Amino acid sequence: MASPGGCTAETACIWRGQLDLGFARQGERTALVERRAHMPLAIQRPFYPEGPQICHVLVLHPPGGMVGGDRLEIDLDLKLGAQALLTTPSAGKWYRSARRQALQQIHARLADDAHLEWLPQETIVFDGAYVRQSQHVELAPRATWLGWDITRFGRSARNERFLTGEWRNFTEVWRDGRPLWIDRQRIAGGDRLFDATYGLAGQPVVGSLVWLGQPVVAAVIEAARAAWRASPRSGEAGVTRLTQGMLCRYRGPSSAEARQWFGEVWDLLRQTFRARPACSPRIWNT
Amino acid sequence: MAVTAMSSFVPRISRMAESPTLLRLLQLASPSLPVGAYSYSEGLEYAVHAGWIRDACGLRDWLRHGLLVGAAQLEAAVLVRVYDAWGVDDIGRLRDWDDWLSATRETEELRNQSHDMGRALLRLLRDLEPTLPHATELFATACNFTTAFGIAAAHWAIARDDATIGYLQSWVANLVGAGVKLIPLGQTAGQQLLWDLQDNIACAAHIAQRLPDEDLGVSNWGLALASMAHETQYSRLFRS
Repeated sequence: MASPGGCTAETACIWRGQLDLGFARQGERTALVERRAHMPLAIQRPFYPEGPQICHVLVLHPPGGMVGGDRLEIDLDLKLGAQALLTTPSAGKWYRSARRQALQQIHARLADDAHLEWLPQETIVFDGAYVRQSQHVELAPRATWLGWDITRFGRSARNERFLTGEWRNFTEVWRDGRPLWIDRQRIAGGDRLFDATYGLAGQPVVGSLVWLGQPVVAAVIEAARAAWRASPRSGEAGVTRLTQGMLCRYRGPSSAEARQWFGEVWDLLRQTFRARPACSPRIWNT
Repeated sequence: MAVTAMSSFVPRISRMAESPTLLRLLQLASPSLPVGAYSYSEGLEYAVHAGWIRDACGLRDWLRHGLLVGAAQLEAAVLVRVYDAWGVDDIGRLRDWDDWLSATRETEELRNQSHDMGRALLRLLRDLEPTLPHATELFATACNFTTAFGIAAAHWAIARDDATIGYLQSWVANLVGAGVKLIPLGQTAGQQLLWDLQDNIACAAHIAQRLPDEDLGVSNWGLALASMAHETQYSRLFRS
């Protein structure tokens, strides 16, 4: 087992990164009151592009990709009424590894009235990668959570397909000891599901957007569907209601298309539940 | 001669009486079980409409994936857990798995279907077994069809692996029936499909008996998209 952040002789470099962030409401402002980061995870100074209520944080992973044996843990604690948006500066990459898993675990606890938006940029799963991503969110009674993920299997621009390896992406959202949403996606490299209509239908990109914490009325579900239909699209998408939220799924050729639509749905949810528009981090445009 | 015929006939009846669990399983897994399964297509109606499934071969692929890596596999694994919880009278654990299964439902229509059918089966079970334990508790909240099936199977002492096979076979039979109407296919082609999927059903049931909790998972992007689209499909034979 490698030491934290250290290298071993037999593998190129194995990282054990840890990031603990605590957010608290101080008057109008959401302050970052706790930060502990162990390389290779780090953050930039928090910023406030849409006023003091919502704290934006860029989560940095300087190696830029995960290799077998890497382990990243992110722990987020939002106190009463805190509001935060977290994103990443670039696409995440999971590299080929010799059957060794790489692991990313996110644990978030949201106190009453807290609101978290977890909006990472796309993830590229290289052929031969063994990926375990898990996200566990605990919501207090009036807390809400929005998360999305967009995954590309294989570097499809160079016609690479995900032929060997394994991908797991587990998301769980709980409230009062009961699950609101359990999403356990998994697929093995080279599985026939990549071409089957039951699975990915030959498309390299899948994406999910989940909003949880409050019931969503039918009109909002319909508006999210209408946003998809409003532009010419090359992929397929759907929207449905969860008991305490909403789910959007995408499969298609383009992570940009998925994010474009997710951005529109994000704006819709912001307008509906937070009475403010979405505010895209500028880093997304660079 | 008459005496010989009688003597060979009587033991056959008594052998049957010794294995009432087979009869109970046949009743539980029967397409005539009044829970309304026939009124749902679980996304199949949209998948056919969209041209994803055009023939028996396409339907076989769809169902095979459902059995081995999709929703039916996950349900079978939860069925096993519910069965065991009922066996040791652990209603708390049974409820936890039922909540867990509800939380994995990817669309409103799949969730509603499971809860409607679950409620119908619980009602039937209570009518057949007025002394069913924990009835008040079970009726207090939503209950998935899988959970109700697991309770019935455990309560009637049907072997767990037999119950799992029965559950999956009735799931396949119902969707083959839907496919026969939708694609459409002849009745013989439908029976051929059921025949061809026997190995997959047995395999899925086998996996479900052994799958550790941490490996519970699915890959069913197509099912989720089809069911989401079906919720707003303009002209439909099957319910949301």
